[in-house]
Amino acid sequence: MDNLLSPEELEFAEKMREFYRTEIPEDIRFRNATGQELSKDDIVTTQQILNKHGYAVPNWPVEWGGQDWTPVQRHIWLEEMQLANVPSPLPFNASMVGPVIATFGSQEIKERFLPKTANIDIWWSQGFSEPNAGSDLASLKTTAVKKGDHYIVNGQKTWTTLGQYGDWIFMLVRTDPDVKKQAGISFLLIDMKSPGVTVRPIELIDGGHEVNEVFFDNVEVPVENLVGEENKGWTYAKFLLGNERTGIARIGQSKVNLARVKAYAATTKTARGTLLDDPLFSARLTKVEAELTALEFTQLRMLSTQVAGSEKPDPRSSVLKLRGSQLQQDITELLVDVLGPQGLDFVDDARLPGGFTDLPPAAVDALRTYFNYRKVSIYGGASEIQRGIISKAILGL
Amino acid sequence: MDLELNDVQRELGSTVRRLLRTKYNAEARDALLASEQGFSRDMWNQYAELGLLSLPFAEEYDGAGMGFAEVAVVMEEFGKALVLEPYLSTVVLGGGLVAAAGSDAQKKDILPGIVSGERLLAFAGYEPAGRYELSAPATKAAESGEGATITGEKTAVLGAPDADLFVVSAATDSGVGLFLVEAGAGGVTVSPRVQADGLRTGSVLFDGAQAQRLGSGDATAAIQAVIDTANAALAAEAVGAMEASLMMTADYLKTREQFGAPIGRNQALQHRAADAYATLEGAKSMALYAKLAITGAEGDGAASEAGKDRHRDILAAKLVIDQAAHEISQESIQLHGGIGMTMEYPIGHYAKRLTVIPRTFDDQDGVTQELAALGGLIEPSAMDV
Ligand SMILES: Cc1cc2nc3c(=O)[nH]c(=O)nc-3n(C[C@H](O)[C@H](O)[C@H](O)COP(=O)(O)OP(=O)(O)OC[C@H]3O[C@@H](n4cnc5c(N)ncnc54)[C@H](O)[C@@H]3O)c2cc1C
Repeated sequence: MDNLLSPEELEFAEKMREFYRTEIPEDIRFRNATGQELSKDDIVTTQQILNKHGYAVPNWPVEWGGQDWTPVQRHIWLEEMQLANVPSPLPFNASMVGPVIATFGSQEIKERFLPKTANIDIWWSQGFSEPNAGSDLASLKTTAVKKGDHYIVNGQKTWTTLGQYGDWIFMLVRTDPDVKKQAGISFLLIDMKSPGVTVRPIELIDGGHEVNEVFFDNVEVPVENLVGEENKGWTYAKFLLGNERTGIARIGQSKVNLARVKAYAATTKTARGTLLDDPLFSARLTKVEAELTALEFTQLRMLSTQVAGSEKPDPRSSVLKLRGSQLQQDITELLVDVLGPQGLDFVDDARLPGGFTDLPPAAVDALRTYFNYRKVSIYGGASEIQRGIISKAILGL
Repeated sequence: MDLELNDVQRELGSTVRRLLRTKYNAEARDALLASEQGFSRDMWNQYAELGLLSLPFAEEYDGAGMGFAEVAVVMEEFGKALVLEPYLSTVVLGGGLVAAAGSDAQKKDILPGIVSGERLLAFAGYEPAGRYELSAPATKAAESGEGATITGEKTAVLGAPDADLFVVSAATDSGVGLFLVEAGAGGVTVSPRVQADGLRTGSVLFDGAQAQRLGSGDATAAIQAVIDTANAALAAEAVGAMEASLMMTADYLKTREQFGAPIGRNQALQHRAADAYATLEGAKSMALYAKLAITGAEGDGAASEAGKDRHRDILAAKLVIDQAAHEISQESIQLHGGIGMTMEYPIGHYAKRLTVIPRTFDDQDGVTQELAALGGLIEPSAMDV
C-alpha cells in the first residue's frame, strides 16, 4: 500500500509505527500478539498512554481530544496500531458512547463525561441487547419511567461485554411504550454502582468470562443522565452502530494473525518437511491471504471515496463486516490446524512439568480463540443482517 | 439390499437411549464436566451391566461376541447425549488393540477386566513432534528376555488421567511394537489435560517403565486397523451429535422470535438449515459406509487387500463426516446467535465435540491427501483415452 500514500502520509505512518513500538509497553503488546487474555490494567494503561499523546480518540471533535486528521491518516493510525499489536482503545468508550455524547449531548454532559471517557477513567459498558432484543434491537423492553427528577429503570440487558469491569453503562431504554417501537427509545447513562444494578457472568464456550447479564431493579437514574432528547435514542443508536462498523474488518489484525500462523507452520515438522510446505495447508493459507488482500483493497476503495469528499454512509461497510468476519474466523481455524492433536485441549499454560516437552505456544489460545471468534459473525449486526442490508441497500431487492 | 438395523441392534439403541435420557440430561452432564474426574464411574458400571463394554469382544474373553455394528449403535447414542465416559479409549482403542494384537493369554488377562468395568485403558501412540503420525515412534523399547522397558513421551493420550493400563507404541528391532504398561508402574508420569469437549486426556512420560510386549512382531497393521475402527466409531458418534444439534437448531428457528416472527420464517435461514440437513444425510450415509467397511473386513490385517480397501473407505468416510461436523457445528451456533456460544445452552457443547472429532486421529488435510495418494475411490477411465 505504501506507493498509494503521499510522502507526508508515509511520514505519518512511520511516526505512528515508531510511537506504538516505543511508547506502549512491550509486555502488553506481547500478550496481545500471542493471544493471551488482556487484563483490565493492560487496556487502561494502553489507552491512557495513547490519550496522553492524543491518539486514543482521534475520531472525536478536536476540542474533546480528537485530531483533525484526514480519512487516510485515521486509517493509518488504526492499521499501524494493529500491526504493532497494540490493544485498541476500549471501543465502548472510544467509538461508541464518546462520539454519541460529543455529537448529541449537552455541553454539561460533554464536560462531565468526555475527558474521563477518553482517558478511560470511566470504563463504559454497552447496554443495548436484551434476551428478546438481539437482531431486532428496537424491540427492547427495559423501561425508564420519569418520576420527578429521576428515571426509574427496570429490565434486563444481556451479552454485556466486560460488564464486570464496567463503571458506567450506556443504555437504550424504553421511555414511551405507546408509539412505534423505534420512536419510544432513549439513550441513558447509568452508574453501575447504583442500587438495584446486578451483574451476572455468562460463561462462553471458550471457557472465558467475557459477557454478562445486567439486571435493573427499580434503579434511580437522575434525569440529567439522559443524552440528547427523550425518545430520540434510536437515532443516536443508529449513528453509534454506524461508527461501530468502520474498522470492524480488522484487516491489520488479520494480517498479524496470519503471519503468526505462517511462522508456526514453518516450524512444525511433518513427514515431508514443514507444515508450511504442506500442499493442502499452504493452499488454504494462500487463499486466505489473497482474500484478505481483496478485503484490504475494498477498504481502501471506500477510503478513497471518502477522500473524494463523500460523507454518506457507505453500504459497502456491510461487505467489510461480512467478509472481515469470515476471514477472521478462517484464520483462527488455520491456527488450530497448525497444532494438530496438541491443539484440542483447553490449557492455561503451554509449559508442562519437568521432563515433558512443552506444548506448542499457540496451544493456549488457538482453540479458545476459534470458539470465541464465532462471535464476530453474530455481534455488531450478524452476517445475516449484513446480507440483508447489502441485498436491500445496494441491490435493491 | 438391506441397510437397516436388525432387531437386536434397534433394541440396543433404544436401551441406551432410555438410560441416557433419564441419567444424562444437561444438568447431570454439567456436573460431571465440573467434577474432578470428568465422567461418572456409576454410569460406567451401568454400561458394564448393560453389556456395552463387552460388545466387540469374543465370548471366550467374557465378551458378547458381537461386532462393530453394535458398537456403532452405542456410539451414535453416546454422540446424541455427548457422553463423557472413556468408551472410545477403553473399549475401542485399548480393548481393540489388545484384541487385535494380544496373545490369547493377554486377552484372557485383560479383556474380562474391561468387560466388567474394572479396568480403564488408554492408547499412548501420538508424540509431541509427530502430529498424527503413528508409524514412526521416537519412543523406544528395550527388550530383554521376557520383559521390556519403555522410554519416551506420548501426547494426546485420550483417557490418560484415569487409565489403569496403557497400550504404548514404541520402536523395536522388529518394527513398531505395542507394549502394556501399568499406570502404577515405576517411571510412568501423567500430565493430565482436558480437551475442549470435556474429555480427559494428557501427556504420558515413560522413563524406563516396566512393560510387556503385546503379542509379537510389527504392530503397524494392527494399529491401523484399530484406528480405522475408531474412526468409524467417531463417525457414528459425530452423526449422533450432528443430528441432535441440527434438530435443536430447527426447533430454535421455530420458537425464537425477532422482528415479530419466528426467525425461521426467513427463507435465508430455512435454506441454510436445509443445506445442513442435506449435509447430515451425507454424513449418515458415510457413517454407514464406514460401519460396513469395518464389519466387512473385521479381522483382516491392514496389509491385506481387504484391509487396504477398508482403510481407503474409512478415509473417505472421515473426509465427509469431518466436513459435515465442521459445517453443522458452525451453522448451529450461527443460527442460534449469541445464545449458541454459551455454556448454559447445549448447542455450544455439541459444537465443541464436533470441532474436536475432525481433528482426532487425523485432520481434513491429512485425510484428503492420503485418500488422494491412494487413488481415491473411482478408477480413471474415459472412452476416448
Ligand atoms: C460475544 C458477544 C459479545 C456481545 N457484546 C455485546 C455488548 O457488549 N452489548 C450489547 O448490547 N450486545 C452485545 N452482544 C449482542 C449482539 O449484538 C447480539 O448477539 C446480536 O445482535 C444478535 O442477537 P441474538 O444473539 O439475540 O441473535 P438473534 O437476533 O436471535 O439471531 C439468531 C439468528 O437469526 C438470524 N436472524 C435474525 N433476524 C434475521 C432476519 N431478519 N433475517 C435473517 N436472519 C435473521 C441471526 O443472524 C442469527 O443467525 C454481544 C454478543 C456476543 C455473542
